[in-house]
Amino acid sequence: MESINHESGKLHVSGEAIYIDDIQVSDRLLHGYLYTSPYAHAKIKSFDLEAAKAVKGVHAILSYKDIPGHNQMGPVFHDEPVMVEGLVQCIGQTIFVIAAENQEAADEAKKLIKIDFEILEPIITLEDAIAKNSLLQPERKIETGDIEDGFKKSSHIIEGEFATGGQEHWYLETQICLCIPGEGKEMKVYSSTQHPSETQSIVAEVLGTGKHEIEVECRRMGGAFGGKETSGNHVAAWTSLLAVKTGRPVKMRLFRDEDQKITGKRHPYHFKYKAGFDANGKIIAADIQHFANGGYATDLSMAILERGMLHAENAYYISNMRIVAKAMKTNLPSNVAFRGFGAPQGIVCIEHIIDRIAGILHKDPVEIKTMNFYGIESNNVAPYGAKIENNRLHVIFNRLMQSSDYISRRVAIDDFNKENEFFKKGIALTPVKFGISFTTAFLNQAGALINIYSDGTILVNHGGTEMGQGLYTKIRKIAAAEFGVSLKKIKVNATNTSKVPNTSATAASSGTDLNGMAVKDGIDKLKKRLAYFAAEQIISDYQKPAKPENIIFENDLVFDSEFPDLKYNFDELISKAYVSQVSLSATGFYKTPDIHFDRAAGKGKPFHYYAFGMAVTEVLLDVLTGRVKILRTDILHDVGESIIPNIDKGQVEGAFVQGLGWVTGEDMKYDKNGNLLNHSPDTYKIPSIQDIPQDFRVELLQGYPNPGTIRRSKAVGEPPFVLALSAWFAIKYAVSAVVNHSKEPKLALPATNENILLAIAEMK
Amino acid sequence: MSELKTISFVLDGEITEIDFNKSGYSPTTTLLQYLRSLPDHKGVKEGCGEGDCGACTVVMGELRQDKIEYRAYDSCLIFLPSVHGKQVITAENLGNSGNMHPVQQAMYDFDGSQCGFCTPGFVMSIFALYKQEYEVDKEEINDALTGNLCRCTGYKPILDAAEFACKNKEDDHFCECEAGIVKMLKSVRRDKTISIITDRQKYYIPFSKAEALRLRKDFPQAVLLTGSTDVALRVTKKHELIPEIIDLSQVNEYNYTKTENNIISFGSNFSMEDVRRQSKETLLALYEMLGVFGSRQIRNRASLGGNIGSASPIGDSLPVLMAYDAEVELENHKEKRTVKLRDFITGYRTTICAADELISGVNISLPGKDRIVKSYKISKRKDLDISTVSACFSLKLNDGKVEDIAIFYGGMAAWTKRASKTEAALKGKEWSRVNVEVAMKQLEEDYKPIADARSGEKARNIMAANLLLKFWSESRRSA
Repeated sequence: MESINHESGKLHVSGEAIYIDDIQVSDRLLHGYLYTSPYAHAKIKSFDLEAAKAVKGVHAILSYKDIPGHNQMGPVFHDEPVMVEGLVQCIGQTIFVIAAENQEAADEAKKLIKIDFEILEPIITLEDAIAKNSLLQPERKIETGDIEDGFKKSSHIIEGEFATGGQEHWYLETQICLCIPGEGKEMKVYSSTQHPSETQSIVAEVLGTGKHEIEVECRRMGGAFGGKETSGNHVAAWTSLLAVKTGRPVKMRLFRDEDQKITGKRHPYHFKYKAGFDANGKIIAADIQHFANGGYATDLSMAILERGMLHAENAYYISNMRIVAKAMKTNLPSNVAFRGFGAPQGIVCIEHIIDRIAGILHKDPVEIKTMNFYGIESNNVAPYGAKIENNRLHVIFNRLMQSSDYISRRVAIDDFNKENEFFKKGIALTPVKFGISFTTAFLNQAGALINIYSDGTILVNHGGTEMGQGLYTKIRKIAAAEFGVSLKKIKVNATNTSKVPNTSATAASSGTDLNGMAVKDGIDKLKKRLAYFAAEQIISDYQKPAKPENIIFENDLVFDSEFPDLKYNFDELISKAYVSQVSLSATGFYKTPDIHFDRAAGKGKPFHYYAFGMAVTEVLLDVLTGRVKILRTDILHDVGESIIPNIDKGQVEGAFVQGLGWVTGEDMKYDKNGNLLNHSPDTYKIPSIQDIPQDFRVELLQGYPNPGTIRRSKAVGEPPFVLALSAWFAIKYAVSAVVNHSKEPKLALPATNENILLAIAEMK
Repeated sequence: MSELKTISFVLDGEITEIDFNKSGYSPTTTLLQYLRSLPDHKGVKEGCGEGDCGACTVVMGELRQDKIEYRAYDSCLIFLPSVHGKQVITAENLGNSGNMHPVQQAMYDFDGSQCGFCTPGFVMSIFALYKQEYEVDKEEINDALTGNLCRCTGYKPILDAAEFACKNKEDDHFCECEAGIVKMLKSVRRDKTISIITDRQKYYIPFSKAEALRLRKDFPQAVLLTGSTDVALRVTKKHELIPEIIDLSQVNEYNYTKTENNIISFGSNFSMEDVRRQSKETLLALYEMLGVFGSRQIRNRASLGGNIGSASPIGDSLPVLMAYDAEVELENHKEKRTVKLRDFITGYRTTICAADELISGVNISLPGKDRIVKSYKISKRKDLDISTVSACFSLKLNDGKVEDIAIFYGGMAAWTKRASKTEAALKGKEWSRVNVEVAMKQLEEDYKPIADARSGEKARNIMAANLLLKFWSESRRSA
């Protein structure tokens, strides 16, 4: 398919693209600020806002007492108050919100706020939470086969523990919302949110009004990555309260440090595992426990936990397997969705187990991986009972092993390592099998509203949001292709709850799958109407027996396939249709068929299909400084039939580099009181331009269209994130080369230079 | 004689004059805040407000003889008065969506934007490169873009766009307008000090050394700034009101370099980027350290005098300059004195600089051919990161034995400190691995590092010891 650039690209490069902070508002605009808790766990015995409220330039200071509706902003479980009511549960939890003319006035007011805290003992670390069995919700389990029997049949058994760190989203645009009160109870909410419908719900609930009074709009976000799936709702709730109270437009934009301190992050995980295998390395049984650090509230932790469990076996068939998962409650900000949504964590544990098996058996991990891959005809049922169909693991593996020249490079690396004391190299291959669909089945629905205007231009509304991933660009392409018109006729409108209601979050990589299908449905309806009309026109204009079912929409033309010479220009036909009183607007709807998951039983078919990919990464480690260079990465990734290849490639590259951050430099350190130490880009380091693979080769798998999806494509946002684990395992190989692979390095994830040097020191 | 109270600069091809008593802007309004307050420069984004992301990157044109030199800066770290006499250029000035500049066109064609929030900043960093006369290779592109973060693309398309644009340079509309802009910039040149006095703040911009020293004497409490890459954080991050500032950035007499009798001198206003370029052939350890110092935008702005004067425990130039045994020139309105940098810093962010003195320059004697000087920096990320541990070693061998060695570490103590015990353990000994490994243990006697957001103390000790071993290993190669 042809390459099309990002629909907002020209606006981006010229600075013309409008983000929420760029919207011109009247001079009555006030700014919203937060007063947050300095303690991780405390009771508020009393507070006094009087002196603070008197500060010039301060228009409102609100506490939970000023909330007209519910003091609640949790998306599923109602355990996350809008503002603290008595009990503080994390540092950065919002206690008051302030509307002021400027930051200086708000800062002065904050100094005058008096609170009497009774400080309580916090739980900060995951280890502490596990020891105290501090749970957010009951544990979950998925089990298949006979785990005990499996261990009995295993010639080798390994046990161990492993952990992964958190990750800050670091979207370039911090959380932001602008609320403009209208007449009566109306409120227009401009929110940087991945989930406008939920933002609408929460604002309505907090304000104690109907959703029909609240209009939420999001044209684009300056990055999100899951960090605006629920966190944006919070900022919208706070802003809307201030706008209602003051009766003026209010904008709240978090400062970078504030954003990093108070918003949730990727869930850190702790794993306990036991795995049994035979002398070849075939895994016979695996018993894995996931402990996710959910922070103080549930948010989406149970869904994240579930996706982690559903990816605990990654690309491997394991006939006897038990996965028990717990979301632990700690006194940290509630952790949230982040690209991959628990799957990268679930996957890293089984990959770690395989890497250990290879070490024990003195084999290349690649051998262990292929031996355990899901089969095509047999060995193809996941622990949760679903059959793995359209398995692309083998084709990708064979092609990538060849194109990356893995085998000879590994030999060369071993030679290099023998000759160099202070520099070591490593190489690793990581596969991913990623389930596509929301695991909460009902969320797999989407709507669209297609308007054709009388001049033949088309405005497409859908429920998905644009965070940079190119959804609008793909939707535009889909709409043009389905209508058979040129791209310039199609405009994709800002996502707005008054155009398309009751939508799901743009998440789970499903934006195009769901919204693309809904758009297609709307277009199909319009085409059906127009086909009837066109056939009638041909009959009356040319007296030919045209039939609606033969009408073709192609190249901005409309014609009957039986009479291809009799063509109407699309615009001309629309103009005639309008005059002939044909409705030129239609809604579209889509729900993903045949998916279901029984949580209690841990069985079902939770995914519509799977996306597959693999990466081979080679690294160079400076043994003395812990500095790692990514020398080369080869990726072969499956996106079905790509709707726009350059956009998909951009997603693969971007996800991989973001994953590199998670596995290498992005480190979160907390003090014992629960203060995040790396709360600014000064100390929290996402990958920069020189951290990417020096030789970066990304290919999309060709020739494997995906049945049953929009234009035979596949979702792409999250799966390639997992591929960055290849860099971590390559680093681990380089570290173990320091002792000539005689010991298993205890390398932490992320492999920062600090953690690498500690792992090396520990082996010596 | 009326005092000068207003500043003037060129924006959108016109001279803009700002009177801080009428405009509503404070003298510590940042250039970013100013531009975002205008209706037509919203493309300048705030990503972090501390010079770590580059979303606010602008290019400033400055007069160099009769030409304009274009450089990229983080607008969040520049106070508005500092812009006096310069041309400010944002993405909007390059072109618009209907008529893009070649740099914008390349970024568009190569899919250099996804969410687009970092994009105008990248465009400006690439534009600054595009306007350089020298050949731009991949290394140069990488270096020029280390100050811009993107969380979406994985950078590859941006690198490709930058390479394409810089390889296919053509005259742009800035070339056409340059003569006119030069005229405007000349017309706003000032000699007399600009004194911005508002209800709450005083901000002085002297244009001569004599005036700078007079102000220093008259306002000893005033905060000094040149590049403001450190001072600006007090406003953007700590929301401090700084009552008195002397802005030295326009004192050209402090902006020089010269080489005489094997001594290289840098004026205190000489930018870190200029120091880096100047030291490439002669002071390799300094050149290499500055290659991982901040970002291009920061180095364009930060000055050598500021880096020394702030006496930060992790000021990356300090261990290197100390190993080179650099001298600091200090002066007040009456006299000059020269002190060893090794004696200049007295503790955590404290120096011997008197309340009426300014740093005027730094002198570095070129090391003899028999000296091996190497610098190292360990940080979590290679670029635009503050050192976890930095070090510089200066070694003189005589017949395989250590005749003299100077070892300075940053990040290991409250200020840049010499490893005296380690040096003593090595002096007179054979420069062998065994002896170096013995000396490595001495480092724990010299330093008691702390644990912080960057690293724990154990890892810092390992890093410090390893760097000595690394120096030993690499010194054998260069000897």
